[in-house]
Amino acid sequence: MMSLMRKAVAFIKRDFSIESGYQAAFVMGLVESLMLLVILSFVGRLVSPTASGTLSRSGLHYFPFALIGVAFARYFDIMLRMFSDSIRTAQVTGCLEAMLSSRTGSVTIVMLSSLYSLISGGLQLLLILLGGVLLFGVNLQHMNVLATLLVLLVSVSIFVGFGVLSAAAIVWLKKGDPITWMLGGLSGILGGAYFPVDVMPTWMQKISVLIPVKYSLDALRLTMLQGASLATVAKPVGTLAIIAVVILPVSAAIFAATIRKGRKEGTLMAY
Amino acid sequence: MTTTNAPSALISTERSARESPLIEVQDVTMRFPIPKRYREWVLAPLRPRRVFTALTNADLEVQTGDRIAVMGPNGAGKTTLLKLIAGVLLPTEGKVLVNGHSTLEQNAAPRSSVGFVFNEERSFFWRLTGRQNLEFFGALDNLYGRQLRERIEYLLELVGLPDAGDKVVSAYSTGMKQRLALARVLMAEPDVLILDEPTRALDPVACDEIIELISTTIHRNLRKTLLIATHRPEEASLLCNKVIVVEGGTIRGSESIKELNAKGITVLDYYRQLVVGGRPS
Repeated sequence: MMSLMRKAVAFIKRDFSIESGYQAAFVMGLVESLMLLVILSFVGRLVSPTASGTLSRSGLHYFPFALIGVAFARYFDIMLRMFSDSIRTAQVTGCLEAMLSSRTGSVTIVMLSSLYSLISGGLQLLLILLGGVLLFGVNLQHMNVLATLLVLLVSVSIFVGFGVLSAAAIVWLKKGDPITWMLGGLSGILGGAYFPVDVMPTWMQKISVLIPVKYSLDALRLTMLQGASLATVAKPVGTLAIIAVVILPVSAAIFAATIRKGRKEGTLMAY
Repeated sequence: MTTTNAPSALISTERSARESPLIEVQDVTMRFPIPKRYREWVLAPLRPRRVFTALTNADLEVQTGDRIAVMGPNGAGKTTLLKLIAGVLLPTEGKVLVNGHSTLEQNAAPRSSVGFVFNEERSFFWRLTGRQNLEFFGALDNLYGRQLRERIEYLLELVGLPDAGDKVVSAYSTGMKQRLALARVLMAEPDVLILDEPTRALDPVACDEIIELISTTIHRNLRKTLLIATHRPEEASLLCNKVIVVEGGTIRGSESIKELNAKGITVLDYYRQLVVGGRPS
């Protein structure tokens, strides 16, 4: 465990040292997040609280609804892509074989390679939420912190699982990752980040039941904006937990098998 | 590439026959599938992918302390053979045993006793310093804290980069990157060092310095078993005590350099004889 922690620190240090050389990208990311908040606040002025059943029942305005949805959907999207991005970068920079020749296993390497994105994405998420509170007056005073953290933990586990699957797809297919394409794309429309799912046609609402991010966002809005208890969000959290328990070991096994296939076919470094 | 059975290249050693080899390559064949083109997907969607045979029925034994030059033309299968030994590749057929462990079943086995010096200059993080790269790869090899720092200082000194540790790798010359690659692979103190064309793309002076570093420091002082892919017969003679020649994916032969010299045959003659069928002068 201690060894894993030390390796985690080595990965974070490496990525921080590399990323700190790209200050412009960091500043542009912050400005982009701020612009997103401005856009959402203007859209919020156009949307009446009675525009959807979800908004009118909860008494929420559009802006806080969209703030939670968009901020967390972006964070989950980072998680979905971070593993495949780190593998692809390692392939392109030529470091993947060198890392895989070390005494650290392939699954550990891919997991730890994404830690920095997880942390920097988390910071971006916090800044967006802070911007929403300080600049646009979103009220998070009723937030149930414990329940929120639990929902976040289970959600992160799921997206880590799908992210590792996505990395396996990159090792196998090199370009064109169907996991990110399908899950990322569908989550944007059907996950309820920008608008409540109940404004969509019934057939789309039925499909949205299959999208994990919908459960995460529903539960996060309840715990963050309405202070809902763990018991209130037990159903979506339970659904997420079941998905997490399945996806995590399955994705790790598939990733290890893909690396082995790459070693057998000599395609590990092909990109 | 080739489908003919290759002659076995069991390298004899002066040691007792009962001593088990450090590395055994047993009847190994390596085939790489060739991705299908659109045309093939349309015209023959069910036909299996074509394959490229990079190595056929290779046999090899490496004993502790051996220094083996692996020679052969470009595309002969040298790098494939070495990557199989390092566990970077897994054989399509046959077995590679490192310290008695098959790389197919226990892939971690070669990683703990074999170090591979990639000839790929890009295998470092160019925006990090040499020291930062060694810190990162050292952590992957389970070295931390003071032990890691001391090891890095020692290795930077050893490979002749004591003052270049804090330079970013992008500012390194090719020779310096090669030295850094040697330092990286020595971090984990492997028993066997595999060097894939260590002097490729180096100027004559840098080339001599690397050869000196390998022969004096790594072989004589650290007593590592060496496997070196090279195109240069003089490098093989200077660094190694045995030579194997690979051509067309087949190990054509192996010989002790001392015995060749005793017969008045140079490494270049031996290579010519096996690769182009020419007679030694």
